Amino acid sequence: METILELLLGNTLTRLVFFPTIACLPLLFFPRKATQAVKIYTLAVSLIELVFAVTYLFTHLGADGTFPRVGDGRFTWIEGYGIRYDLVMDGISMPLAMLGIFLLPIVLLGSWKGIDKHWPAFGASMLLLTTGVLGTLLAWDLFLFYIFWEVMLVPMYLIIGIWGGERRIYAAVKFFLFTMAGSLLMLVGILWMAWSFQRLNGGVWSFAYQDMLRLDFPVHQQIWLFAAFALTFAIKVPMFPVHTWLPDAHVEAPTGGSVILAGILLKLGTYGFLRFALPLFPKAAEAAQPLLVGLALTGILYGALVAWVQEDMKKLVAYSSIAHLGFVMLGILAIDQVAWEGALLQMVNHGLSTGALFLLVGMLYDRRHTKKFSEFGGLARVVPVFAFFLVFASLASVGLPALNGFVGEFLILSGAFRTLGWPAVVATFGVVLAAVYLLKMIQLTIWGPLTKDENRELRDLNFRELAVLVPLCVFMIWIGVAPETFLKPSREDLARTLAEYSTGVERPEVAEAVLRPSRRPTLMISEAGR
Amino acid sequence: MNRADLMSLLPEMILCGAGIAILLLDAIAPRLRRSFTLLAVLSVIAAAWGASVAWRTAPGSSFLTWGGLLETSGPTYALSLVILLATGLCLLASQGYLRREGILAGEYHALLLWCAAGLLLMLRGTELLTIFLSLELFSFCLYTLAAFHRRIAIASEAAIKYFLMGAFVSSFVLYGIALLYGATGSTRLVEIGPALASAEGIPIGASLGLLLLVAGFAFKMSIVPFHAWSPDTYQGAPTPFVAFLSVAPKVASALVLYRLLDAVVAGGVPAAIEKWTVVIAALAVLSMLVGNLLALAQRDIKRMLAYSGIAHMGYLLLALVVMDRASLMPVIVYLLAYVLMNAGAFTVVAMLYGRPGEQHLISDLAGQGYRYPLLSACLAICMLSLGGIPPTVGFFGKYLVFLNAVGDGLVGLAVLGVLASLVGVFYYLRVVYYLYMKAEERQPEGLLLDVWGRTAAVVAALGTLALGIWPWELVQWLIEATAR
Repeated sequence: METILELLLGNTLTRLVFFPTIACLPLLFFPRKATQAVKIYTLAVSLIELVFAVTYLFTHLGADGTFPRVGDGRFTWIEGYGIRYDLVMDGISMPLAMLGIFLLPIVLLGSWKGIDKHWPAFGASMLLLTTGVLGTLLAWDLFLFYIFWEVMLVPMYLIIGIWGGERRIYAAVKFFLFTMAGSLLMLVGILWMAWSFQRLNGGVWSFAYQDMLRLDFPVHQQIWLFAAFALTFAIKVPMFPVHTWLPDAHVEAPTGGSVILAGILLKLGTYGFLRFALPLFPKAAEAAQPLLVGLALTGILYGALVAWVQEDMKKLVAYSSIAHLGFVMLGILAIDQVAWEGALLQMVNHGLSTGALFLLVGMLYDRRHTKKFSEFGGLARVVPVFAFFLVFASLASVGLPALNGFVGEFLILSGAFRTLGWPAVVATFGVVLAAVYLLKMIQLTIWGPLTKDENRELRDLNFRELAVLVPLCVFMIWIGVAPETFLKPSREDLARTLAEYSTGVERPEVAEAVLRPSRRPTLMISEAGR
Repeated sequence: MNRADLMSLLPEMILCGAGIAILLLDAIAPRLRRSFTLLAVLSVIAAAWGASVAWRTAPGSSFLTWGGLLETSGPTYALSLVILLATGLCLLASQGYLRREGILAGEYHALLLWCAAGLLLMLRGTELLTIFLSLELFSFCLYTLAAFHRRIAIASEAAIKYFLMGAFVSSFVLYGIALLYGATGSTRLVEIGPALASAEGIPIGASLGLLLLVAGFAFKMSIVPFHAWSPDTYQGAPTPFVAFLSVAPKVASALVLYRLLDAVVAGGVPAAIEKWTVVIAALAVLSMLVGNLLALAQRDIKRMLAYSGIAHMGYLLLALVVMDRASLMPVIVYLLAYVLMNAGAFTVVAMLYGRPGEQHLISDLAGQGYRYPLLSACLAICMLSLGGIPPTVGFFGKYLVFLNAVGDGLVGLAVLGVLASLVGVFYYLRVVYYLYMKAEERQPEGLLLDVWGRTAAVVAALGTLALGIWPWELVQWLIEATAR
């Protein structure tokens, strides 16, 4: 009990993960009519969380800009099964966790008008979702990881289902079932691994990530385990052909839900590949690489082509997510330091630029209650500030040099070209197509003659909406001009994971599952600065 | 008969005595009827204390009393508490329902307490005739309670169906006992095992007898293909009583099933053990598939929960496919989880549906999440737990069962189990989305939401969450208690 309090009060990961959950409790006691108070309270909580995150970041960020592997220390949770409460932040999870926390106040502010009912429930869902996302990113115990992975589902399900559009229930249930389908198979995989570990370790259980890395399965078993993990993560990414839940979820979700979904939730799939699927089952991953590269390429081209023909702005942005995440997957599958750095950066980029696009579409929807291109045109004359931000975010998404998207795509493509060859060439067409469909969107909405009378009276962005967009744009430029600041913290951990994977591929094959002797982690996990 | 014998019967005696006292009070002072719930709950708590006293006489080991007829051990103690928990939750949930329907009477409480006594006895029986007699004791109480709402035709129909099927099954069990006795010369389970081992081959009579017995208890657990009674009975019987009917008999029957299979394993004939492994695996797979797929098609929440209960017994059987001592702990945890979440769900259903004679459509819950936030939240938690979403005890129970299956090398069955539970998630979510995502269609009328019922719902929901987050103390205790 004392340790729990100590962890919650100190400058720790536990505080980052559970502060939003604890802050949910007062939401139960707000009077029913006090919507404004609930909004302000939730926003305040999200800002405090941001302060906590920044404090944590600068406590541990090295003077040379690198980020160490830091954790809260290990605590036994379910003793007999060796299940530990073990939160660790490293260079791979740090950017994504920070992105998640950074997007929270933006999303709440962006939903100020769009969400018109049950605000306490909305605030609570958002905060619980943050707990789930952060826990998933930081868990270094596979059981704990699975718990957070599933916990994340319920609030997102509620967000889509309660505040979504016409077909919201269909979309919410589809989202839930797709994700659950994968993760249940992953659960069996995790159980199998933990059980094998226990058998080889003289009856002592463990689900710890570092212990699972010591397990060496024969290839035919690795294939099955990898399949279970890869399916789970591929659904989340989403990769072609298990992407079908995404357009539905995005189109039906409220703006805030879409931003979180695109900004963070999808990244957990690619993060899962990087953190778990590849290092844990290197041989199987190597065998499956051609197939997965093929799927990633299909996703890039298919997502782009389908986005091109959309008549609805939100659908277009949704399909563009499939294409962008295809790039990230290509970078991860390239098994190359440069490509991995690009992939990780591109995860953050996509969260920023697609998040901004979804917010902009939402702002337009708040005014006109439609997202169809045919209803717009020539908006630049009526709402110039809106037009500026739409062009800005689109260009960032397309990959204009000096903005964030360019850096990520360039690194991914150059890394992929080095190791994969022609698939990188094919993927380059995806960049061209991205320009085509995003410019089409700009063309149809803000350029051209002002055809609809309803659009003449549109209000331009107000102060709140500027406050939502400006921070996103600041980071888009910052990453674009000084990417090294954002690449450096992850470099060492990516290299270490890459080494882990490469040695795993080269290791001689085993006929039976083997447990390699424990070796001390190359870097001590420092106790958090309490 | 000595002091130890009497002490070991303490919980059953408390329950029977309290039942008689309530009946007498009902005759003498009918005005006290409203306090019967409190009395009955107190006697359940006293019975739990009695069970702990009985177990404490020799803690940490199992011992036999009444000349070897009754066993008192860690597993029986744990499951006794689970049954008493179900009884307590049912009693709390019933008060509001009985008052609302104007059928509040002492018989209800008395029958329920006697039923619990019968279940505790069956749980501890190590001899087939004792098991049979306690089976009859609690079955008669169940038949009567199912028909307790006399004015509703559907309740009588439910009770008749249950009674007719139950009577058949009783004769099955009795015939099975006779055959087994004929083949082995004993009705004591400890002696049946060795007798099977020493027999030449596997006597056909013994196999048939065991099969009849397993069928009988599979009926009480509503396992496919012996499940047909449960949806109809659940639909007609008083809803708070279903909170008991759908869990408690299954708890006791599961342990008897374990004892029967244990006797086979003790017999040590590999061919026989292998055969039973196949039988149990088939029952598990059938229950998981049939239960989940039929639940998918239900529009009535009570029928849906009935089919989901069939599926849950299928998951439970996964732990018994390969029988060893380690199978017992997952089974007990799963049963406790099932009691909490299922009884919690039926408690809320009993309170939120005002017309017991009609269908309890899931769509009637539309928008109730905002009208009754507390009860709806409890129902939603129970649903998510039934669906196996962490951090609930429903998830942890599934985790233990699937881990046991994977450890026994039954990865295929575990995969089948998780896929079946994916189907389950779909219909449990349906309840959640009607509660929170649909607009309210009509304001419910004639509900009576009393403190007792709310307490039961909150206890069940909080228990579901708390045991999902801190399961280890319980598991550790159970591992120690089931080690011998």
